[in-house]
Amino acid sequence: MNKFQNIRSYWNKPQHAAYLFILPAAILLVVFNVIPLLASFYISTLNMKISFDNATFVGLANYKEALTDARFLNSIKVTVLFTLIEVPIQMVMGLVMSALLTKNTFTNKLFRSIYFIPIICSATAIGIMFQIILHSNVGLITYWVRQLGLGKVNFLNTPGLTLGVVIAVSVWRTFGISTIILISAMQNVPSDYYEAAEIDGAGKIRQFFSITLPCIKPSFWFLLMTRIIGSMQVFDLIYTLTDGGPNFTTETLVAYVYTKAFDSGSRMGYATAMSEFLFVFIMIITLIQYYVMAKTED
Amino acid sequence: MKRKRLKSTLIHIPILVMFIFLALVMLIPIIWLLLGAFKPDAEIIAYPPTFFPAEFTLKNFTKCMQRIDILQYMKNSIIFSVGTTIPALLVNTLAGYAFARYEFKGKNIIFVTFLATMMIPFQVIMIPEFLEIHMFGMYDTYWGLIIPKIASAYWIFMMRSAFAGLPKELEEAARIDGLSEFGIYSRIMLPLIKPALVTMIILGINGNWNDLLWPLIMTSTSQMRTLANGLAMFVGVRTIEYGAAFAGASISLIPMLLMYIFGQKYFVEGQATSGLKG
Repeated sequence: MNKFQNIRSYWNKPQHAAYLFILPAAILLVVFNVIPLLASFYISTLNMKISFDNATFVGLANYKEALTDARFLNSIKVTVLFTLIEVPIQMVMGLVMSALLTKNTFTNKLFRSIYFIPIICSATAIGIMFQIILHSNVGLITYWVRQLGLGKVNFLNTPGLTLGVVIAVSVWRTFGISTIILISAMQNVPSDYYEAAEIDGAGKIRQFFSITLPCIKPSFWFLLMTRIIGSMQVFDLIYTLTDGGPNFTTETLVAYVYTKAFDSGSRMGYATAMSEFLFVFIMIITLIQYYVMAKTED
Repeated sequence: MKRKRLKSTLIHIPILVMFIFLALVMLIPIIWLLLGAFKPDAEIIAYPPTFFPAEFTLKNFTKCMQRIDILQYMKNSIIFSVGTTIPALLVNTLAGYAFARYEFKGKNIIFVTFLATMMIPFQVIMIPEFLEIHMFGMYDTYWGLIIPKIASAYWIFMMRSAFAGLPKELEEAARIDGLSEFGIYSRIMLPLIKPALVTMIILGINGNWNDLLWPLIMTSTSQMRTLANGLAMFVGVRTIEYGAAFAGASISLIPMLLMYIFGQKYFVEGQATSGLKG
């Protein structure tokens, strides 16, 4: 037995090999997730441009500044508004569509796969498509709306309206995911529940509320939480559709963080401090999610 | 009985109409974009707008190639999306396999730590990661684009579930036959979870192909841009070169649409089993 064979047989034991199997992933996750997270807390206390040169320690000044920065507070308002409107529309649409499309018939499958298509499209392509289809002069939808006698609407450049347009595009893009997830939850509801209800004379709508909804509760909660977290991080659609305009009325928190960090006049420390607010929001939602899920499992 | 059937068709017709209406709402913008790529510029900005092109032209594509290096973007998108997904397949299945099949000290705590990384919003770590990649000298290179994207707690979790369902006997028989642990993983177990692997390849390529923020942060020169961020930067918010923008967007969409048509089952199943992404 030479030394090489010894090492080999040691690492070939299942309880030792396991560490070798997880090592690459562990290194990568630590280097590119854990360390950056820890570093972010430190960076948020610095005043720094695009590199570490000339970085100065400023303590909590960045956080204090954020709380008095009107543009930051506005971006939080936009993010919350976006989430509060987008998520309920998305969930209700997902629920209705999935209830109607649960059965695996040919037409149902066809409609499902059509509703799913935007999910595979990049935000860039979606941005280009809607920028022109909603164009104030030559847009197809603008033209149709005008034909209906609703006047000339400038969808992408009207404060107040534009956020609604972004929300509509976002629902258009992602309600297919919600539908698919809820369908797979509904298909897992045992069919004898419905048969029993049928015998008791419960109608379809009654069945939906007293059987389907309680049975899919865990999936519904899970989806709701992930949709909320996703909405709070919305960036790419804003970047390609409005770039935060008009007048910052569609500038979300992440869009502002990005601009502050990487556009001209870069302030990395300040941008990181603002992103920590997002971290706290998301942590709170995640904790609620775990609490609720643990409760529903009991 | 007859009356009941009549009532049910009366309910079904409006539902069907709604389904068709919604399908049109989903499809029209996409079809309009693809058709627009073949319209001459004058027709795109004509009022009233047309849906089907009155005149077919390929000029938009040549113009798009003159204005931006779209072939280079395409190459970068392929290198980034495929180049990330292939090593990701190895790294994440290895870890998922260990968590599913082995008992070892500290397993639970390591697994929970892995899962906890899923909760970190990307936007919080993007600035430290940017600085880190700078320090490693990988900024604006393929390495910087690819390496941080390989390991993913999400995929480790999915692969763990895929491996967990396989029978224990297979593993033990292979061990008696003298196969090494890596051999058992790669030759016996990995081929058995092929559907999960295909799902991961398809969703991985699609996700990276469409990713906007990451290549926006990690690249600076035109040579390194992907289709997603290169086109977004070319178009900006107020483009005037509609034809070229349509052509570029179509070029970036078509590979994904083809992948969807042929691998639809995997897209749908991947989303349905997880519900985590997006």
